[in-house]
Amino acid sequence: MKGAVAAVLLAGAAAVAVGADQATLELGKKTEQTSCVPCHSLRLVESQRLSRAAWDKELTKMAGWGFTAQPEARAALLEYLVANFGDDKPAAPPERSADGRK
Amino acid sequence: MTPNRRDLIAAFFAAAAAPAPIAAPMSQQAGESTAIAGKRPMILHSDRPEDLETPGEYYTSWVTPVDSFFVRQHIPRPSKIDPASFKITLNGMVSRPREITLDDLKKLPQYTVPATLECTGNGRGFYSPKVPGIQWKRGAVGNAEWQGPRLSDVLKLAGMNEGAKEIEFDGADTGVAKTPDFVRSMPLTKAMHPATLVAIKMNGDTPQIHGFPARLIVPGWDGTSWVKWVTRITPQEKQTAGFFMNPGYRIPSIPLPPGTPARPAELVVIEGMPVKSSIMIPGDGAKFAVGTIPVRGIAWAGEEAIEHVEVSFDGGAKWQPAELSPQKLHFAWRLWRVDWKPAGPGYYNILSRATDSAGRVQPFVPSWNPSGYLWNGVDRIGVTVEAKA
Repeated sequence: MKGAVAAVLLAGAAAVAVGADQATLELGKKTEQTSCVPCHSLRLVESQRLSRAAWDKELTKMAGWGFTAQPEARAALLEYLVANFGDDKPAAPPERSADGRK
Repeated sequence: MTPNRRDLIAAFFAAAAAPAPIAAPMSQQAGESTAIAGKRPMILHSDRPEDLETPGEYYTSWVTPVDSFFVRQHIPRPSKIDPASFKITLNGMVSRPREITLDDLKKLPQYTVPATLECTGNGRGFYSPKVPGIQWKRGAVGNAEWQGPRLSDVLKLAGMNEGAKEIEFDGADTGVAKTPDFVRSMPLTKAMHPATLVAIKMNGDTPQIHGFPARLIVPGWDGTSWVKWVTRITPQEKQTAGFFMNPGYRIPSIPLPPGTPARPAELVVIEGMPVKSSIMIPGDGAKFAVGTIPVRGIAWAGEEAIEHVEVSFDGGAKWQPAELSPQKLHFAWRLWRVDWKPAGPGYYNILSRATDSAGRVQPFVPSWNPSGYLWNGVDRIGVTVEAKA
């Protein structure tokens, strides 16, 4: 029994160390699609590199501006943003629009 | 602008016969991204709403053409506005509330003001630690010739009452979902300044993406003050209280340690812009063969004029004056240039630093602020000079 508890604790520690699980990240990505895209391009989100605290604050700000998600989906979106667009990630590659002159 | 003046400035800025860069500073592919009607390929921060940065190599003229002028929008652009039915409501502390048309604006005396427009967050991408918002580098700035009646003359059409201290402006754009509407106010002193216009033309054109048929021109002040698609002008007693006045577009009156939260009571509305220069050509990371290398940039100073620009090619140990474009105007930028002959191969840190007519000098380390506004640090690029094969 003691051994089983220790194994669970170790597994928990490992999960924290490697970040969110795949299902959470997938729910986060889906939430980004359903909750962010209606109002603006994802470029606005994905060009940024922010800390967990800063992303969390952004989600709270966006909630005031009409962002809606179930608590589980909001938490998953935060994990997804931190995992892909955290402040430890390299800067977004610069992108240029196509020529729009006639 | 007369053709002569344009030619003069074009000649000033033209690059001397120079070796072409061996490699572009950044590899960017156009084609997969969205084309923005009327715009050259731009650095694409967002296509909905459009937030577009001007690439450094486009800064080759004193007047920035509309097709390469940066775009910043918080909320989607209004749908197409018919100039024939366009109206501005004048209400609030006025004796004759009324609606005015584009024709009414055209009948007032017309003025042309050359002025530099800079996004309040231009350079946010240089702050550390990173702060939320569009990660602009150098290119959220442009210089145009704005034409239209003075705001003070427009206000006369409705007769402003005694006691009005602020003027509130709303534009035709509206927020999606629960995004706040973009409404701003400005103190009477700036509103009544003879260079503050309700512009109906930009470089002789009326580009909707830049706020026409009518937008505010607030020379020397941050871009946020230059309300686009103006539909309502309201003299009032107090400053507007909406998000885009508070907490938006405020900076700490007492500088904060980097990375610390704002103290709401110490935040003040941003008004005039600081002194600044940017190195636009070459791009950061460019490579050259030994030879003469054209170094080109811009410098501007909010409500002041640019006095001089210095450039260093050794990381700031020694400085030399840059040659400036001839017109020294308040509100409008000056182009600067140096034709640089590196002593030999190597990696060089090139810096630029501007000083304005009020004696303000571009700092090495601008104050970090939680929203990443007003970046004006001494500019720096690195280039590699290689021996000729």
